[in-house]
Amino acid sequence: MDFSYPAEVEHFRCDLRAWLSANLTDELIAARRPTGRDDAAFETLRTWNRAMADAGWAAVSWPREYGGRGATVLEQLVYTEETTRARAPLPLNVIGMNNIAPAIMQYGTESQKETLLPRMMRADDIWCQGMSEPEAGSDLAALRTRAVRDGEHFVVNGQKIWTSLGHRADWCQLYVRTDPDAPKHKGISCLIVDMKLPGIEVRPLVTLNGDTDFAELFFHDVRVPADGLLGPLNGGWQVATTTLSHERAGAARLYAELQVRLEELVADFAAAGVGEDPVTLCRLGEIAVRIKYLEVLCQRSISATLHGGDAFGSASLAKTVWGEIGQDLAALAFDVLGMNRRWADYRLTSRSLTIAGGTTQINKNITAQRVLGLPRT
Amino acid sequence: MNLELTEEQVALRDTVRRFLAEKAPISGHVRQLLDDPSGIDDAVWQGLASLGTTGLLVPEEYGGVGMTMVEAGIVAEELGAGLHPGPWLSSAVAATRMLTRTGAGKAAAGILAGIADGTTMATVGGLGDIRATAVQHDGARLRGEIVAVPDAAAAGVLLILAEYRDGTGLFAAQANSTGISVTPERGIDQTRKRFRVGLDDVAADLLATPSPRDIAAVVDDVLIAMAADALGAARAVMQLAIEYAKVRRQFGQAIGSFQAIQHLCVDMYETVELARSGVIHALWAADAAPDERHPSALRAKAFAGRLATVGDTAIQVFGGIGYTWEHDAHLYLKRLLSWSEFLGGPDRYLTELGASVAHPEPTRGRT
Repeated sequence: MDFSYPAEVEHFRCDLRAWLSANLTDELIAARRPTGRDDAAFETLRTWNRAMADAGWAAVSWPREYGGRGATVLEQLVYTEETTRARAPLPLNVIGMNNIAPAIMQYGTESQKETLLPRMMRADDIWCQGMSEPEAGSDLAALRTRAVRDGEHFVVNGQKIWTSLGHRADWCQLYVRTDPDAPKHKGISCLIVDMKLPGIEVRPLVTLNGDTDFAELFFHDVRVPADGLLGPLNGGWQVATTTLSHERAGAARLYAELQVRLEELVADFAAAGVGEDPVTLCRLGEIAVRIKYLEVLCQRSISATLHGGDAFGSASLAKTVWGEIGQDLAALAFDVLGMNRRWADYRLTSRSLTIAGGTTQINKNITAQRVLGLPRT
Repeated sequence: MNLELTEEQVALRDTVRRFLAEKAPISGHVRQLLDDPSGIDDAVWQGLASLGTTGLLVPEEYGGVGMTMVEAGIVAEELGAGLHPGPWLSSAVAATRMLTRTGAGKAAAGILAGIADGTTMATVGGLGDIRATAVQHDGARLRGEIVAVPDAAAAGVLLILAEYRDGTGLFAAQANSTGISVTPERGIDQTRKRFRVGLDDVAADLLATPSPRDIAAVVDDVLIAMAADALGAARAVMQLAIEYAKVRRQFGQAIGSFQAIQHLCVDMYETVELARSGVIHALWAADAAPDERHPSALRAKAFAGRLATVGDTAIQVFGGIGYTWEHDAHLYLKRLLSWSEFLGGPDRYLTELGASVAHPEPTRGRT
């Protein structure tokens, strides 16, 4: 039993810290949670993404041939911890780099890899992922957007929803139904779609706090070149699950982000001269203990990966716990600092923590059936 | 970074688990001892000693195995899962660590050797709140009354923390000495034996003069080992409830196929795995990271209230049968509740933890 990191990983941490302290400005930190309509902040972050890419810090988990560092799992963990704790902005293409790039590396042509990946890393191109639909949310495999082969093209018709960055994207990794007669998981394909193609309509969705984080996409007879097919025809479901083998230390973002939020909350309490009563301290303690335990839970998950241990369904568990803690933290912040704009906003946006990327209830179903072995209904 | 158990640790876990299932099962052993003040029979204690568990933390020079809290935690978790009612935590952890952490080793060599080979059972009095005890020192005699002393009826040796000169003395008294009275305190959990110990001019040997830091470290060890025990209890009752949900049928199907039941089970699992995360970190910190030991013990204690909900939820999954005396669920709930209540309820520790987050410096001591 050993919680310490090897010396070479601590060395990696030192290098990264030094680079961050020299390059991460207050202006960048202030811009790190941009609202969807803030174009100036978006361009500031694009510049930051390029600076990170030029220094080799943009995509450490990627192989070196695509501009990454081929970082080990523990290095990825440390990278996530340090960038989060330094309050560095997330890459604009965080979804693209973590979820789309691994699929391009595995299934893409050489030309796709060479042209798409560096531009994604530098945020020269912005990527979105077309997955959820109005009738395919938690039941993703029920998606109905159709793609029909017509000569050298697929003709796409349908609708996507909750598409993060949809209103800014240059490219879309789009999941479509190519065989309506096959069982639902076996008739899906993955297309890389240029968002400038005729027939694509993007409508930004305004979220509960008035922000624009995501969009609805409408496809009307969009003719996508057939070489945009990523992976096998009707093999889209396996493309969608590729991502898991790459970004293995992503869970570190969960606890590191909560640690930062907790620090910010404590600082704001102190600045306002509030939060010293036993009830507030008790709630603070309740949140702090769970954040620490979430950290160890994620470390256990990584240890299991490294040493062949039992992963005990930790990924799904960690996400559930993260959402619950985040909402409790938001509630505490609002209860004590209700007139503070930023915490009031977090009180609202924290609702997404138990919805986005798979609801807590779906996660619990998965854990119940796959980890605890309870029978399906 | 390696949080997996070694092969030896897995073997230790499996050996203790098998021993308890065969020699000290809940139906044939634990339930028989619910009203017994000692909570142990000689054969079971000697069995635990011969497996090396009583001397796990005793240094090799005193006849022990010289292992760490990580191994002690593995044993504690199994004892908790088996609802073991004997004085293992008192003797193998609290007393042993009190002797080794306070430099009493040489003066207490005989006691340590006895703990290791199972011929001595020991416990510690005055650990929780020494100033509240009215123990006085008069030559080598102890006076006063100490409450909430675990396993005092089973113990042959009582280690007593008492006011001594300007500080604290650690004394050893034979349990059968003249002037010692031992009165049961009936708490919620009959698998945990606690007593009020009266001391009326009891002859005792001074073993050491521990600093508050030494004593705080022992309290941390005890809290951490008890957290491992509670983890075992929570894990066991969760597993019982999940297995029940797989076989209990209503409306023509297993109740575990209903989402409402599934989510209760996942809630238990989430709490148990969070607790396990805290426990393994604390067990490691106890010996390997002294700066982290106290915060991790504090967290473990602060989490006790939430961990006890696993017992509540398990009873909900069992339904009516879980509300009966015959069913073991209540024994687990009581074990978890007694941990939650031990040395003060969770809110006090959560508040202390919150204060340490709000004011990270200087390092806060135990209040």
